[in-house]
Amino acid sequence: MAKILVADDSETILLLVQTRLKMEGHEVETAADGQEVIDTVLRAADNPHDIFLLDAMMPRKSGIDALRELRAMGVETPVLIVSAHTDGGDGNGDRADLEIDGYVNKPIDFDRLFAKITELTER
Amino acid sequence: MLTGLAVIGVARFLQQRQDYENATSRSYQQEIDARSRLAAGQKPAAARATIVAQQQRRQTLRDDIANETRDTALLVGAGLIAGLTGAALLFTGLIASMRRPLEDLVDASGQLAGGDLDARVKVGGLSETATLGTAFNEMADELQRRAGERDQLDRMKDEFVLTASHELRSPLTSVQGFAELLLLERERLTPKQAETVEVILDNTRHLVRLLNDLLDLARSDAGRLTIRPEPTDAASLIEDAVRTMGAQLDGRRQELSQEIGADLPQVEADRDRIRQVLVNLLTNANEYCPEGAGIEVKARRAGAEVEIDVIDNGPGIPPEQLDHIFERFTRGDAGETQRVGGTGLGLAISKSLIELHGGTIAASSTAGKGSIFRVRLPAIGVSNVSEAERSGAEA
Repeated sequence: MAKILVADDSETILLLVQTRLKMEGHEVETAADGQEVIDTVLRAADNPHDIFLLDAMMPRKSGIDALRELRAMGVETPVLIVSAHTDGGDGNGDRADLEIDGYVNKPIDFDRLFAKITELTER
Repeated sequence: MLTGLAVIGVARFLQQRQDYENATSRSYQQEIDARSRLAAGQKPAAARATIVAQQQRRQTLRDDIANETRDTALLVGAGLIAGLTGAALLFTGLIASMRRPLEDLVDASGQLAGGDLDARVKVGGLSETATLGTAFNEMADELQRRAGERDQLDRMKDEFVLTASHELRSPLTSVQGFAELLLLERERLTPKQAETVEVILDNTRHLVRLLNDLLDLARSDAGRLTIRPEPTDAASLIEDAVRTMGAQLDGRRQELSQEIGADLPQVEADRDRIRQVLVNLLTNANEYCPEGAGIEVKARRAGAEVEIDVIDNGPGIPPEQLDHIFERFTRGDAGETQRVGGTGLGLAISKSLIELHGGTIAASSTAGKGSIFRVRLPAIGVSNVSEAERSGAEA
């Protein structure tokens, strides 16, 4: 089972994702924007997350911007980007350098999400 | 000069013609008088002489007027030619001075029509061509201004659709997610409750489909519908789509079968997008066909392409609808759409997606017998030559 950091600006979606992931037996931490993501990651330096599940668009600091900063700090945790757009394209610029491990579209297909998490934790 | 002479000549001729008619008329009168006298037996010799004399006189008058007519015609002809030559000379000069600006106008119009809204002409030459040039440039300015406004409106519309789609997706994610969560604990729900949650889920999925279609359409319009193609096993693509459809078809007791050719090559395909197209075709077949209908997916290699047919034995599509079936918001006849829950966008989007893959999609139908939707996708590593040879052999 994995330790997963989930970020979304919608409390309802955080609750939903957290509930489903916990039902699958994962350990979940949440963040409401990009800055909280960075703070949570830094706090968990001793017991790092296995996967980040970040919403691409969040107010103040987006998931993409947070990831860019984390990658610059040398954090290599696998990341799944949750996007409202079917192709993940939402005007956040070039992200070829960010080592994104997959995209999850909204509404979330949880069976697919669980399969991706399994794939990422087992490799 | 000669033209003036011709005018005078014609006037003189008209006078002569009048004189001729008067003289002829008088001559006839005298002959008639003479014939009356002859009939009355008064001086028959003199009367006969008068009749002959008047006949001869009219002959002379006719000869004269004929000569005059010929001369006048010649004069008028010469005058006309002279006039035309003069006019031609004048025109040649005029045309020469208009030619350059007109050619510029023709060139600029062509550029404008071809979409180059920066096309303008140099204003100059005669005052008429200068006016024309100015008018053209003003028109081009106006066109450019309007095109700019239209582009901006288009961008605003695209932006709106993207934003609306994003904003709608979060609440939809919650509704769908929590409804699914409830169903995960189905054993703790009463059957009525479970059914209610399923209705919520069905409708949420329909909304999501509508939203996705609108988004795809807006992207397609903006030229931003993109695919991420990669070498893909065509057979697994089809099996994937058929599996996705399986549960839905069971509900209406329709038979879904597949027949996949053994040597199906790989295609360069965006897996999600091709599945979207195939599921769309299968959903249409499912929804427009009555219970118990048969739906078949056949795939084979056809030369340098993979050909996928979605065949049903439903009511078929009337020819007048078939012509427009890939246009947006075209749907089966109204009676059917009451029951069928589509958006009228599926086939328009499917066509855009298949064309992005470099493929084609076509529909054929026979009333009462069913419909065939045929998708053709370019295969990887199969040369066109084999198809040419094949069709050559068949012919």
